[in-house]
Amino acid sequence: MSADPTGLAPFSEDRAESIGMIRDSAQGLLGSDMKRVRALRFTEPGFDPALLRAMGEAGWIGLMVEEAKGGTGLGHAEMVALAEEMGRACAPEPLTALQLSAALLAAAGHELLEQALSGEAIVLTAWQDRAGTLEPAAGDGARRFVPMAAGATHFLFVSGGDLHLLPAADVALETEQRQDGGHFGTVRPKNGLPAPIATGMGEAIATALDRAALGTAAELLGGMEASFAMTLDYLRTRKQFGTVIGKFQALQHKAADARVQLSLARAAVEEAAFELDEGAGGPAIVARAKARASDAAMAVQQASLQLHGGIGYTDEYDQGLHLRRAMVLVPSFGGAALHRARFMALEPETEDA
Amino acid sequence: MNAITPRETQDLNLLPDEEFRQHIRSWIEANYPAEIRNPEKRLHWDENKPWYMKLAEKGWLCPGWPREYGGLGLSPAKQIIWTEELERWGCARTNDHGIVMLGPLVIRYGTEEQKQRFLPKILSGEHVWCQGYSEPNSGSDLASLRTEAVDAGDHYVVNGQKIWTTLAGDANWIFLLVRTDKEAKKQEGISFLLVDMTTPGITVRPIINLEMHDEFSEVFFDNVKVPKENLVGQLNKGWDMAKALLSFERIYLGSPRQSAYALTRLRQLAERMGVAEDPVFAATYAKHRCDLEDLKSLYSRYVAVLKAGRPLGADVSQLKIVQSELFQRITETALEIAGENGALFGPMEGNRNLNPGALYIQARPTTIYGGTSEIQRNIISKNVLELG
Repeated sequence: MSADPTGLAPFSEDRAESIGMIRDSAQGLLGSDMKRVRALRFTEPGFDPALLRAMGEAGWIGLMVEEAKGGTGLGHAEMVALAEEMGRACAPEPLTALQLSAALLAAAGHELLEQALSGEAIVLTAWQDRAGTLEPAAGDGARRFVPMAAGATHFLFVSGGDLHLLPAADVALETEQRQDGGHFGTVRPKNGLPAPIATGMGEAIATALDRAALGTAAELLGGMEASFAMTLDYLRTRKQFGTVIGKFQALQHKAADARVQLSLARAAVEEAAFELDEGAGGPAIVARAKARASDAAMAVQQASLQLHGGIGYTDEYDQGLHLRRAMVLVPSFGGAALHRARFMALEPETEDA
Repeated sequence: MNAITPRETQDLNLLPDEEFRQHIRSWIEANYPAEIRNPEKRLHWDENKPWYMKLAEKGWLCPGWPREYGGLGLSPAKQIIWTEELERWGCARTNDHGIVMLGPLVIRYGTEEQKQRFLPKILSGEHVWCQGYSEPNSGSDLASLRTEAVDAGDHYVVNGQKIWTTLAGDANWIFLLVRTDKEAKKQEGISFLLVDMTTPGITVRPIINLEMHDEFSEVFFDNVKVPKENLVGQLNKGWDMAKALLSFERIYLGSPRQSAYALTRLRQLAERMGVAEDPVFAATYAKHRCDLEDLKSLYSRYVAVLKAGRPLGADVSQLKIVQSELFQRITETALEIAGENGALFGPMEGNRNLNPGALYIQARPTTIYGGTSEIQRNIISKNVLELG
């Protein structure tokens, strides 16, 4: 399961070992039991704080934070491998959001970083004031769509290029249930904003949001893999008209198309990680990866549901967990149209003929 | 055997990749005939022969062949750079069936006598080859082919018909898949035969395609006598041999070059039509562009497999699907924004870069040749996803 299912060469052979270790560690910690995931749905905080601390101990929260600051010091290649495993397991723990906060606390040089890395403090970044944006909000108004906010111990409140740290007790929190059984929080400072812990952080914030977009793309990839694997099993075993339905060409071609989308998403996500680690990539390649992963995820999840027939529409069947997680992750940190527009703005075209 | 002397005495594999790229790039730019850059149609022998002969003289005609057979013996990584540079400069394909299909097959499966007899004549341009595989009733189901070769003592007698034979009218030799055992399972009764096109009993009839171009032909065989020494490999093993060489074709047909070319044309057309800034067009264009870049990402992964010297799996079929269907979508957008200009047979306003009608037509057969999109999906379903 940890091997690249396309059977292709990894982008970087010398990273294969550390990527493999991350995947093994993730599969060990997350398991594949969907009962855990189901039990946490539509509850608050909706994730397992003990598991979060285990993730912290394993070095996941500070995966890309430099070692000198107490992090694990790994690269984007490992980050996307881990996020993919999170997606495959449909884990509700908001790891990408915690990594985002860790990156910002590290950039700000704030002392809460240590507890954030261990999972003892659960720090969520409240940065957007509306849907469909990657632009950090300004001012001290409400911040929206903060994932799994009910479990936070602190909020990192972004206002333009400034970071303000607020204990959970100092904000008014409203939650809304999400399709996947998690929730979004709307966060309002009760008594205005305290003095910022760091200013002039615009670039660090943009980089961290970008990284979160790539992690989210990888999580979508893992969810696609999981749904598609279930679908192939189903096609090989479900019988109708006296034969397994995988023999029917109409269904085979739908499956082949899903596989093509999966391969494109994997190529885009892993290439983005590779390029960033090489110092060659920037926001453009991340934008392209998130755009592809978002569109591919919706296509693969829909095809998987269709290929399952009625059983796929039941809550009892696990494929729906991945479909509804995709509905959350696709718009998170920018959907396909937003990222395609960004890509076009960021990457000038070359004349090739 | 007498070694075939390569004209290129330097082992180009020894150059670092970037130096190698610059080395061949400057030679291509200095020597490629300007008038046949980015041709709209597959060129005939009389048009591409000057380039073929330049390559032959330089000793660079067969980059993939081993040096002892007159090739450059380039590593897979260097061969990829070679192809990239040809594509970059908009170089036309030559009549290359001898170079890419027959040569490697003879090198791998032929006798020493066959290597000595056929390879130098490909290198000199004396033999121009075409490929006789498809038949009127054996297209996607190629293994059902019925053109037969009957044993008549010291020779075979060939009867039957081939179709979609690319540039058959230019060729003086054809390599054939023929049925030599009608009783065996369909894949196991096929042999690989080399036939001199001047042999009595062969008729070539060109087919005019939707580009109004005679790229393909039908080739008829009426009691054609073929010497037995023209059989390559073992009798009835032709299918396996031919199949072993198809992975080149599958990655070649998945190269992003056609889509990249079409997207450039679409951009130029959009500027001319004044829709480049239109938000509806811009969204569609952004999709095409991201599709192209993602195709390049995927393509690079297969290239990495080749560079590592590993074989490509059945999985590479997906590249051809993505490439050909994207190429078609781009040309469909071009047709849509062109309005009445898209109905023109030739370029609009005398500008050969603005040719949406022809581009649209050009993209049509890509989902058919080299295995239709449907056949590629069957391959993925059966060999990759292991469904039935």
